[in-house]
Amino acid sequence: MSDFPAAFRCEWRKTKRSLGLWLVVVGAFFTPAIVTIARLINHAQLPALYAMDSFWSALWKSSWESMAVFFLPMAAILMTGLIGQLEFKNNGWKQVHTLPLGRSTLFFAKLAVILVLMALFLLLFDVGIYLSAIVPWLILHAFAYPQAPLPLDAFSQQTMLYFVDCLPIVAAQYLLSLHFRNFLVPIGTGFMAWVAALAALSWKFGYLVPYAYTLFDYLQGSANARVAAPLIDVHLLAAAYALAFVVGGYVLFIARRQKG
Amino acid sequence: MLSIETHGLSHSYPNSASGLKDIDLAVPQGSIYGFLGPNGAGKSTLLRVLLGLIRRQRGSVSLLGKPFDTQRIAILREVGSLIETPSLYEHLTARENLALLREIYRVPQTWISDTLHLVGLADSADKRVGQFSLGMKQRLGIAIAVLHRPALLILDEPTNGLDPNGTIEMRELLKKLHRERETTILVSSHVLAEMERLITHVGILAGGRLRFQGTLDALRGAEDARCCVTLRTDDDEHAIATIIEEQPNARRHAHGITLPALAHEQMARLNRRLVERGIGVYELGRRERDLEALFMEYIQ
Repeated sequence: MSDFPAAFRCEWRKTKRSLGLWLVVVGAFFTPAIVTIARLINHAQLPALYAMDSFWSALWKSSWESMAVFFLPMAAILMTGLIGQLEFKNNGWKQVHTLPLGRSTLFFAKLAVILVLMALFLLLFDVGIYLSAIVPWLILHAFAYPQAPLPLDAFSQQTMLYFVDCLPIVAAQYLLSLHFRNFLVPIGTGFMAWVAALAALSWKFGYLVPYAYTLFDYLQGSANARVAAPLIDVHLLAAAYALAFVVGGYVLFIARRQKG
Repeated sequence: MLSIETHGLSHSYPNSASGLKDIDLAVPQGSIYGFLGPNGAGKSTLLRVLLGLIRRQRGSVSLLGKPFDTQRIAILREVGSLIETPSLYEHLTARENLALLREIYRVPQTWISDTLHLVGLADSADKRVGQFSLGMKQRLGIAIAVLHRPALLILDEPTNGLDPNGTIEMRELLKKLHRERETTILVSSHVLAEMERLITHVGILAGGRLRFQGTLDALRGAEDARCCVTLRTDDDEHAIATIIEEQPNARRHAHGITLPALAHEQMARLNRRLVERGIGVYELGRRERDLEALFMEYIQ
């Protein structure tokens, strides 16, 4: 694993101009862009909104709604598929497996790049949320800057928990992307798993569906959401599932008879 | 010293009768070893086994004097390969494709430009590979294989899909690498005429078995014993009568006379005798068989 930094840089370079990287950037700023546009259109309500004590938490909550339920699971499914399948798409596995690198290094370097991209996705989304507050204020200048303090620590902590929540999706999609040449298999499986997670939300064991944790995380705090209360900490479950999928993916990767 | 050595190497795919059977490959250092065989003979499978892309079921593999099983990473540092179609990231430029590998091989930045220049892609260095022609992709595939200046190059059908001009360029490139960098090259192909102009050594694979292995000259030499002399004169009837006194196996045909292989001095003496007897000789020579004929004989 001493070659890991070089392998990581190699994998990172592959993401340049890739669809996966575009997805991260565009996907992260999509909801904040919609929020910004909506605010500019409904600018008459903004002075009262920006004066609220709960300005930041309300903005955070509304921005995360579509993110936790739809965009984050979809981004994890699509981005992992796109990056994980770069070699299949470009006929590259035979070249990758003839590099002077250990198989473990190959597996974990690519996984690390995907995890960094996921973290970047969430970071950019948080920046986008902040910009969706600042940009209308800068453009319109018809009301005061929000007086409520920005709860940076709480938001950072919640972002990290959402990152943990999406890890099982990333790990499972990574396993599928490395194993199946056909791009539709991981994407289709991921999409069906997400639909299953949505359908199982009110089921008492719905928290056992590994694609459900971003949904649970968001909806648990919502009074009118019909979500069964998990018996186990969903973040712990997410981490455990992620670990299991990574181990499974690694074993399949190492044991593959034909490597390219 | 051998750059590639296998002993009793065997591999078969599940539910398939074809496969590799007891291959003892010996590729000398500094050679251009042509690996010939018809489609489905197992050439690509063998090259994949050599590179560890397929797990062999029996036998041993040593590359550059080191056992592959225990020194895979050290070996791969000194090996470049192109297996069938090149592995290229089409959303990246040619330079960026090489930069990926530079991270792994830790070679100087200047080697990227040098390599692109070597394969004739210096002017297209910053063009996206998705816009490349097949020939350009093939050349970039070679660039990827040689970027780190490997001691051993393993190429599977590198001229596949190239036009005649591209094929000649590829052959000259490989010769240049061999000459200037002393790279040992193992190259598989079924384009036999092309190989004949390139290789120093040859291995013929058919039905999963190695049918012949040695230098190209040895292959031709082995054939010399079975080669024949052809003769055409202005009076074949009298000529055969003269020849048969010394060469009882001589035969007259509609288009001349053939007789078993002769040494150069024997051919000169035969010519003198015919001329002394007033027979005009207007064709006398050894019938050389090209690699294709030899190859066909070995695989049938």
